[in-house]
Amino acid sequence: MGSKRKKAVGLLLTTVMSMSIFTACGNNNGGSNAANNGAANAANSGSAANDGASNAGAEPAGIDTSKKVQLQFYMLGNAPKDLPKIEEQINKMALEDLNATVKFNYTTWTDWDQKYKLLLSTGQNVDLIFTADWTQYQQYAKKKAFKPLDELLPVAAPTLQKFVPQDMWEAVKIDGSIYTVPATYKEYVTNGFVWREDLRKKYNLPTPVDIDTFEAYLEGIKQNEPKLQPVSFGADIINSLALMYLDIERRNVGPMLNGMRATYDKPAEIMPYWGSAEHLEDLKRFRSWAEKGYFSKNELNETETIQDKLSNGSTAAIMGDNPTRFNATMETMKSLHPDWELGYTPYGVTNGYATPVHPIHNGFAIPESSKNPERALAFYEKMVTDKRYNLLTQYGVEGVNYTVQDGYYKMLGDSNTNGFPREGMNGWAWRNPEYMLFEPSYDGVKKIFDELDKIQKPDIYTGFAEDYTEYQSERAAMEQVMKQYLLPLLAGQVENVEEGLKTFMSKANQAGLQKIQDSYKKQWLAYLTEKGIQ
Amino acid sequence: MLKKKGILHELYTNKILFLMLLPTLLYFLVNNYLPMIGIYYAFVQFDFNTSLFKMDFVGLKNFEFLWKSGKLVELTFNTIGYNIVFIFLGNVLSIFVAILLNDIKGKWFKKISQSILFLPYFVSFVILSVIVFNLFNYEQGVLNTVLQQLGADPVDVYSKPKLWIFFIIMFYLWKNFGYSMVIYLASITGISEDYYEAAKIDGANAFQRAWHITVPMLKNTFVILLLFALGSIMKGQFDLFYQMIGNNGLLFSTTDIIDTYVYRSLRVTFDMGMATAAGVYQSLFGFTLIMIVNAIIRKVNKDYALF
Repeated sequence: MGSKRKKAVGLLLTTVMSMSIFTACGNNNGGSNAANNGAANAANSGSAANDGASNAGAEPAGIDTSKKVQLQFYMLGNAPKDLPKIEEQINKMALEDLNATVKFNYTTWTDWDQKYKLLLSTGQNVDLIFTADWTQYQQYAKKKAFKPLDELLPVAAPTLQKFVPQDMWEAVKIDGSIYTVPATYKEYVTNGFVWREDLRKKYNLPTPVDIDTFEAYLEGIKQNEPKLQPVSFGADIINSLALMYLDIERRNVGPMLNGMRATYDKPAEIMPYWGSAEHLEDLKRFRSWAEKGYFSKNELNETETIQDKLSNGSTAAIMGDNPTRFNATMETMKSLHPDWELGYTPYGVTNGYATPVHPIHNGFAIPESSKNPERALAFYEKMVTDKRYNLLTQYGVEGVNYTVQDGYYKMLGDSNTNGFPREGMNGWAWRNPEYMLFEPSYDGVKKIFDELDKIQKPDIYTGFAEDYTEYQSERAAMEQVMKQYLLPLLAGQVENVEEGLKTFMSKANQAGLQKIQDSYKKQWLAYLTEKGIQ
Repeated sequence: MLKKKGILHELYTNKILFLMLLPTLLYFLVNNYLPMIGIYYAFVQFDFNTSLFKMDFVGLKNFEFLWKSGKLVELTFNTIGYNIVFIFLGNVLSIFVAILLNDIKGKWFKKISQSILFLPYFVSFVILSVIVFNLFNYEQGVLNTVLQQLGADPVDVYSKPKLWIFFIIMFYLWKNFGYSMVIYLASITGISEDYYEAAKIDGANAFQRAWHITVPMLKNTFVILLLFALGSIMKGQFDLFYQMIGNNGLLFSTTDIIDTYVYRSLRVTFDMGMATAAGVYQSLFGFTLIMIVNAIIRKVNKDYALF
């Protein structure tokens, strides 16, 4: 008897265990399984038929609003505390205007890229989702993860179609179709040097405008403030050092991948960068910086963000940041240390051109899985073009969350007590320049934008959609090789740079770099021809 | 007897029991067996616009990236190696400490040390990585500050891959052994006092009692925990490795496991096929391993085997 029971228990345990092994197949490693929570919501949307008392008059042009629906709206990041109150007010209006309600869902920033991927690939009901170049809009659109909007727009959202300029609609097209509604607010997310201006004045150091002056500034800091780390790059050294360096020193057309580069002036002359003489030269320079102690030996394991390190005084400079974030860092720093100053030189000033943000940078798309694409688009039109919807979802309730003072936005209370800070819903994509309200501190950013406006040239890189279907296993393998052999080189951790680069290149070629680069080059040239860029 | 009457009769006679089992069976069927259909993702080219079985069949192409970088052997070796060390050191240490704690007479002291040993289990890996970074970072780390105070040269811990084998194991044990220790402690409490009293009367000392009574009595718990652990031997402690090592390529040769490799490789693509392929590889490996080990255990002692 006892043995029999033991057996049964054992059997049960085995079942449990083999289950836990197999469940791993479906979801990927990061441990994030966001797919579940939406399932319940999805169930609601299809049901709830209307009682028939539909509001005449509120119906927009050509869409059928006789059936009540709930829209699932997905945005990245964290939801503001007061979101339920905003949602309630929005729903009251939306029910009247479109016979629809909306549920605003937020992914939080933890593993957002995993969750984003799951939202689009598990077929769960999502009606509106944020898109950007950094969420790989081009790739997803190319793989048709979103619905094409070309025919939907004139029917469901004619006002929105007119509101967004034609050239922006053109710019977001992937393979000839529109897959996202671009934001129309013009801003710059180009980079520039950021440094402690008070220290520069104190020791009479040169103002960083290019790599040489930046290097001289770092040297000066090292000499005069031996305890302070001159510059920080953090673990994301590819973006914070390598791509910044290519941007300012080699005038790259954009953050090109796969070890290729082309200049802005001659985009068609695309060439391999990894393993080239220039690459070696650049890596040697980084190594010399590491040897001189300009940055930490353990940059790759740094846990603090470089912006935080700058504002709390553990580093004197970062190589590049965009105007908006620079301004935010400066505000944080001023609140901690009122007597410190921060300096900024946009790369554009040195390079002679700056590219305003590409329309792809902020947008909203309708995923393939959406059951109510028309209503979703009509609702999004309201978010952008209807002042009531727009102000409510950007700034909260006037008089509760904010007030308008001399034309400026003023938050009520502080960031702890206010349940809906400015752009609390991360509403970058549905910003409407006509209704936008700014804080006085934003004047600094506007000043930089005005300066860059004078030298603006179009962004010719972001519209490019790389299709890596044919080399995706090589690409995945390359990712490992890059992290293992290139990152230590960038971080100046490899004593013999030449040897290190050789190792990296041989491993890269083994992983199939050549195949990637050939295909990438072909696609890039085809893209240039298609868009008529010389 | 059972065989003669067949399964229907069995179902009929024990219908109440089977009815009680039903919810559990359903639960596993829906949550665990049904999703297994997804294994098929590993063999198709993922496409947003069609359903799973209409996607293009690509054979083993999705598995290619696993060996393309020439790392599969190293990764499998690392993953299994670490897990074996974790399992054995972890269990030995937990049993040892559990026996010690059990023999402590002071109730307060016992409870407090038990809690202190258990607490690290609740420390998040993110916090752990910050602690480790502050201990070992070259410029301001605790270790190097102390070394410099003593007049020694600072050490760049983050560029010495061999050292991290030791650190990873150490921090794993620090964090996790409290948990299995509590399980063993509970098993020890379940051992009848009679054995010990009889042994005492026969003149056995504390060591002899531990070695000849406690340890053999714990064997069952140990085997079950072992088999549990073996099933996931191909699934590394992702958080531990990812948080402690992160992007530091210098340390990969000794610290990269399949999970971190897959995460890193597939972060740049969104291909369901390749992610599933990696999962299938791990699961098959784990499944094979557990079948073999269970067969061995069955041979040795039938009662200890899981099935």
